[in-house]
Amino acid sequence: MPQIITEQNLRNLIDLLVKEAKLVVGPKLSGSVVLYEPLTAGSDLTLDALPRRSSKELFFPICEDILSYKRENGAMKVSDMDRSKFPEAVLIGAPPCDAGSPAILDAVMSWDYKDEFYLERRRKSTIVGIACTKGDDACFCRAVGLAPDAEAGSDLFLTPLKDGSYACKAVTEKGQALVAAHQNLFAEGAGAEPKPFVDQAVEKLDLVKIKKWLEEHFEDPLWEKIADICVGCGACAFICPACHCFDINDEGSTDDGVRRKHWDACGFAKFTNHASGHNPRDVQNKRYRNRIMHKFKYYDDKFGKTLCTGCGRCIRACPVGIDIAEILEQINSK
Amino acid sequence: MNAKANKNHVTSIEPAYYEAITEAIRKEAVKILKNETVVGVVGYLPGRRKGTASPALVTTVEEAEKLIFSPACVNNLSVYLTKAKKGVLKQGKVGIVAKGCDMRALAGLMTESQLQREDLFIIGVVCPGVYGFGVQRTGTLTEENIARKCRECTVHMPEGADVAAGTHAELADLTPEEAEEMARIEAMPQTERWAFWKEHFSRCIRCMACRQVCPFCYCEQCLCDKNRPQAVESSPRPAGNMAWHLVRAMHLAGRCGGCAECERVCPMDIPLNLLNRRMAQELKELYDFEAGLTPVEKGPLNEYKENDDQSFIK
Repeated sequence: MPQIITEQNLRNLIDLLVKEAKLVVGPKLSGSVVLYEPLTAGSDLTLDALPRRSSKELFFPICEDILSYKRENGAMKVSDMDRSKFPEAVLIGAPPCDAGSPAILDAVMSWDYKDEFYLERRRKSTIVGIACTKGDDACFCRAVGLAPDAEAGSDLFLTPLKDGSYACKAVTEKGQALVAAHQNLFAEGAGAEPKPFVDQAVEKLDLVKIKKWLEEHFEDPLWEKIADICVGCGACAFICPACHCFDINDEGSTDDGVRRKHWDACGFAKFTNHASGHNPRDVQNKRYRNRIMHKFKYYDDKFGKTLCTGCGRCIRACPVGIDIAEILEQINSK
Repeated sequence: MNAKANKNHVTSIEPAYYEAITEAIRKEAVKILKNETVVGVVGYLPGRRKGTASPALVTTVEEAEKLIFSPACVNNLSVYLTKAKKGVLKQGKVGIVAKGCDMRALAGLMTESQLQREDLFIIGVVCPGVYGFGVQRTGTLTEENIARKCRECTVHMPEGADVAAGTHAELADLTPEEAEEMARIEAMPQTERWAFWKEHFSRCIRCMACRQVCPFCYCEQCLCDKNRPQAVESSPRPAGNMAWHLVRAMHLAGRCGGCAECERVCPMDIPLNLLNRRMAQELKELYDFEAGLTPVEKGPLNEYKENDDQSFIK
């Protein structure tokens, strides 16, 4: 028998987790925008709104200190950040396009170099995904192989039902453990019918065909056509659940400061600028091409996964209306 | 302003009005491409999603016949003419579709010797307004879906264009939301005002979209990209964010044409145009100067006059 949780009990679960000193992160209204933020109570949770930034920042923060340095008695003292202090975390209320992203990013973060900051947060986190019943004409998760009810990446998956409660499915052991520890909030029951999922304007794409086209069209007028209008900002990359490039900067004085890791974006003109002054991606068309190649070819080549979850954030946010779903449709139909 | 007497105040701007502008733009763009006045026209093409449009550089008659103008044509296209951004001008004389607010940027760029008037063919648009962010895109422009900046537009009629597309229409009795918000912030005690901006800047992700769409952010080396030594923290943290936005506001004082593109493109809803407007207000009060209405030889912050207000020197 599937398990059911009412909306009130879902909020009660958050209250309990907060009491257990867990970091609970979920969609929350912050000023005029909804963001994934630490919840202090169940009533903080905003349902039915796709946060402006993706949930990747729970694992890959917008900016984090990785070490600090201080000159003491003439000698430089360097201190690592204590990763054992990262809290146990529960991400609640992420739709499949967000809940699915860490499962994709795990591959690159534990590849030739193990990113212990990301991996430690992953080890200590549980993801409660939620099927998506709201969307707009920028959404295209089905087109890239996900779906509004895809469980990929979730430890516990909730499906909104017509009576306002949620069907729960423990997808992993972490999910089972979360339910087991709070069994009184969950009820047995067949439950009502699920709420209808979102219709999507973009047909399912043939990702194999797209990858093949990309392999054969490193040079193509398409890249210049897009670059004609791309202004080279990082909005698309920064709000993307899958983009994961970062830069490292030492900030502070020569005597006292911090080494910080923070988001970077391939759209920026200086992204690949070498110390020599040479820049292999010196013009915007090479930069935008890299964005598409990275998502739909290189990442697949290395890890067998597509680096896009179809959340549509980049489409909604692009200052100049560049529409990645439209570009993929174009390639798909060639 | 001219044409005041002909003002046609209405409660909604129907699609037919924009269709007429579209026709006029296409006709003009086709003409100047055919007779080789220009090598290309920067205008708008429809987007895949309902009620959206994208900037485009069209170079053929076939493409020019697809140009549109609708309330979704929000972009200030002059950004594509600056050397640092796109430099389409290096290909030859270009045509550009420009709303009144965009004309102010063109005038400002001419003032700053970034553009030469003779290199441009300007198709001015008599613009009744464009959509705000996240509104219903129904085709009909109303008080509900018009952009905040358009509520107080003073340049519906573009001046200094080669041709103008459209007749004059504007929405009646719009609430001046930006002015009201400015007044509300002005009235705050200083600590509260500081907290207001701190809260907004804390959300900044340093995606630099504000800089990248700004026609006046054409510096080839942005202070905020410098890292040897670092002038402004480039990591998205409160201190660096605050520094970045204040540096930018100061840098744009007396230059910003008020197109509010920085605010429109901010994925974090930071009301950046309020800073620009505040700076513009200072310039108006101190020097009786409004940026970008017509090209001038020098802006007030670039020249010294003996009768300048010097009361700030203590």
